[in-house]
Amino acid sequence: MKKNLDKVFKYSLIKIALMPISIWIISSLVFLLLRVAPGGPCDAMLGTSADQIARDNCREDYGLNDPFINQYLNYLSDLIHLNLGNSTSNGEPVIDVISRALPASIELGFFAIIFAALIGFPLGYLGLKKKGSKYDYFSRITGISSYAIPPFWGAMMAQLIFSVILRIFPIGGRFPIFYQAPNITGFIILDSILNSNLFALQAAIYHLLLPSITLGFLLSGIFSRSFRMNLDKSLRSDYYDAAVCRGINNKNLMINYAIPNALLPILTITGLTIASLAGGALLIEITFSWPGIALKLQEAIFQRDYKMVQGITIVTSLIIVSINLFIDILIAFIDPRIDY
Amino acid sequence: MKTLFNLKRIKKSFSSVFIFLILLPLGACRNNSFTNNIIIASSGKIESADPAVANTLKSLQLLNALGDTLYEINGEGVLVPKLASSLPIFSQDNLQINIELRKDVFFHDGTPFNSYAMKFTIERFQRIGKMSHILGDNIESIETPRSNLLIINFKKPSSSIEGLLTSIYLTPLSPTFYENHSDDYLNNDFVGTGEYILKSFSNELQILEPNPNYWGEEVKNEGINFVGYSNSSSLYGAFRSNQVDVLLSNSIDDSQRNMLKILSENGSIKEGSSIPNEISFITLRTNQEPFNNKKIRLALALSLNRLLISDKVSYGLRDPILSLLPPIFKTDNLNTWPEYDPLKAREILKGEGYCDGNKLIVPLYYRSNVDTDKLIALTWQQQVNDSISDCILINIYGVESTTIYKNLSEGLYPAVILDWTGEYSDPIAYLSPLVSCKDYVGEICLEGESVFSGSFWASKEVESLFTKSEMLQGEERIENLLRIDKLTSIAVPYIPIWISSQKAWAQANISTPTFNNAGLILMSELEKTEN
Repeated sequence: MKKNLDKVFKYSLIKIALMPISIWIISSLVFLLLRVAPGGPCDAMLGTSADQIARDNCREDYGLNDPFINQYLNYLSDLIHLNLGNSTSNGEPVIDVISRALPASIELGFFAIIFAALIGFPLGYLGLKKKGSKYDYFSRITGISSYAIPPFWGAMMAQLIFSVILRIFPIGGRFPIFYQAPNITGFIILDSILNSNLFALQAAIYHLLLPSITLGFLLSGIFSRSFRMNLDKSLRSDYYDAAVCRGINNKNLMINYAIPNALLPILTITGLTIASLAGGALLIEITFSWPGIALKLQEAIFQRDYKMVQGITIVTSLIIVSINLFIDILIAFIDPRIDY
Repeated sequence: MKTLFNLKRIKKSFSSVFIFLILLPLGACRNNSFTNNIIIASSGKIESADPAVANTLKSLQLLNALGDTLYEINGEGVLVPKLASSLPIFSQDNLQINIELRKDVFFHDGTPFNSYAMKFTIERFQRIGKMSHILGDNIESIETPRSNLLIINFKKPSSSIEGLLTSIYLTPLSPTFYENHSDDYLNNDFVGTGEYILKSFSNELQILEPNPNYWGEEVKNEGINFVGYSNSSSLYGAFRSNQVDVLLSNSIDDSQRNMLKILSENGSIKEGSSIPNEISFITLRTNQEPFNNKKIRLALALSLNRLLISDKVSYGLRDPILSLLPPIFKTDNLNTWPEYDPLKAREILKGEGYCDGNKLIVPLYYRSNVDTDKLIALTWQQQVNDSISDCILINIYGVESTTIYKNLSEGLYPAVILDWTGEYSDPIAYLSPLVSCKDYVGEICLEGESVFSGSFWASKEVESLFTKSEMLQGEERIENLLRIDKLTSIAVPYIPIWISSQKAWAQANISTPTFNNAGLILMSELEKTEN
């Protein structure tokens, strides 16, 4: 075990050492691709309305008339000093925008993962336990449908049914439009608890439920299908049979033999899902007007807000790389068979 | 397995969670029941409350509630003083304008409104305003000889200054409050002279409360919550489920517009419209084949069935137009562009060697992120297939809008669908950005607005009419500008399609929304009614 931990430690150190290189490659690619894409912030801002002088002034203001290499070196220099710059749309520091939008996406992603697990695991288990029964078909159909449904359609249907027809949930947004959200960390639910503000907590959950359940449902198929498959594999394995022969009771068989082994591959899937949600769930955020990082990134791309796009990409890349590293380490801890 | 994963237990847990999820929102907060403010919803968000940053219709809507203009244009198209106390006085050479200001106006922070504040505002906008190009480089200096007298000196005569003085971009800002922001933006706050005070600002939601010290009429409501949704469906759903009181139509789908129109005709909701001010048109690149041939441009204009397009794409909600000017500026209501006539189009094309196996191929570009543009392109393509397929073949291509704006002046698009709303209420704000040209050879523009709009068309006569109109005022000036519209229609560098108005819908318990002549909703006029 100790030998394995040493290997994990070394592996982590190498990964951490490589992180700046990954970030440099990603940030350089984003910088390059944005400049290669036709149109810049001035074109997006001025449309067809401005003359050449106005366009030149605009480009001068944003340093876009500087030689490409100078722009790149300035960008790298700012990055090294942890300065993501100011938005070209309204001059606001990019880091401020990210610190507002990222918690919204994390909050949504976190609850979506919980709902995905709450829906996915029982469904997978039910299907396996009642193989060939109506429960099995229900489990399979639900599982397949959840990842076959296009997210935007699923979200719009959820909105139509629960917000427009039944009028149970709000149509969108993160907080009621007549009330100021508590703001300490940016995570409204956490901030409401820290402020002991029950009304804000209720309001925040009220707004969060529909988008997170919808996203959770759309993600649940991956969990139910893989849980079912891996649990089935565990239940058919030699070590499980050996445990049964040793007279271990059903509860212990499940808790100590079948489920842990079935969950190992799912941990990797969960890690990848969480990592993908760190960049926001774009279609859900658009449909539910959820002011998250993906929605901000999409707007920034349309506005050719170079600094904003660069900033968001770098921060989300950093999060994704970190989550992947964390999952790798976690798996190595849990499963001594993994060798690095 | 039975002991740990009991089916009944799972069912029970699921039922409990489900009941909890259903019950929780019942005790939670529905928007309308917790505020007396009127909730106005629109799509998109507002990046900043600073007039120097504003460049979308939605931000102008907000600024119009928070600020005032020096003048406004009334329903008859006549200039009326607002923060000014009388009409502007022009010097004989049109190089100076004198504006008397009201004395009883105060900013939201208590600072008195005066000529120094106006000078501060205009100069700040000139320095850092994103849309500062609307002022051109024409202001020589601003004088403030008295606290209520503003004198603006121009480098050259400009008759469009009256229109500019009605522009919300130049809404006065408190010099005291903006002292530390004279050279940078103040995004989250606004201190002007308007009917409302900005109580809170976020990109998605702005809360406005009435200004108790407003110099004009009192507002008819207790405040406004101006909210943005990120897509048309959410906006429509929020209105239909009574979560918002008023829906502003900035970019709502035409099918939803149509449904709302039907509901308003039934009396379930109320509909208000602005005067039409947004013109959709097709730009033809006139400096290269095939559209360097005026006859071919004319034939193409004749092949466009505006009525059909309006009917199929907008359910007849947008009016076909045969001019580059909104009807409010047209004293004679004359249609200048040729009407739909496929027979004449075929005749012209035959004369130019097309038809009989040789089709005119029209590469038509549209902005892929504007749904209506795509529908216009598809409908016209099909309509041409049905009526004149032996002579014209339209191939359509979608390109993202920013890419189109960038490439227009490069001459990449032979034909492209665009739209235009004048940045202030004046015919010149519609004509100049499309047809004026600084440097030209024959009928080809080398440098100027016409290049940036992608038509590259120029006319010596048009340029002299532009110059002449700078020296004219009133009816004579309008006649002069109408002549430019007429000349443009003869050369056909553009094909106008339709004109749209801003619309707003209110729930039955809210008064009918009204708009000013710039197409901005009058939030102060909205009130809750019995029904």
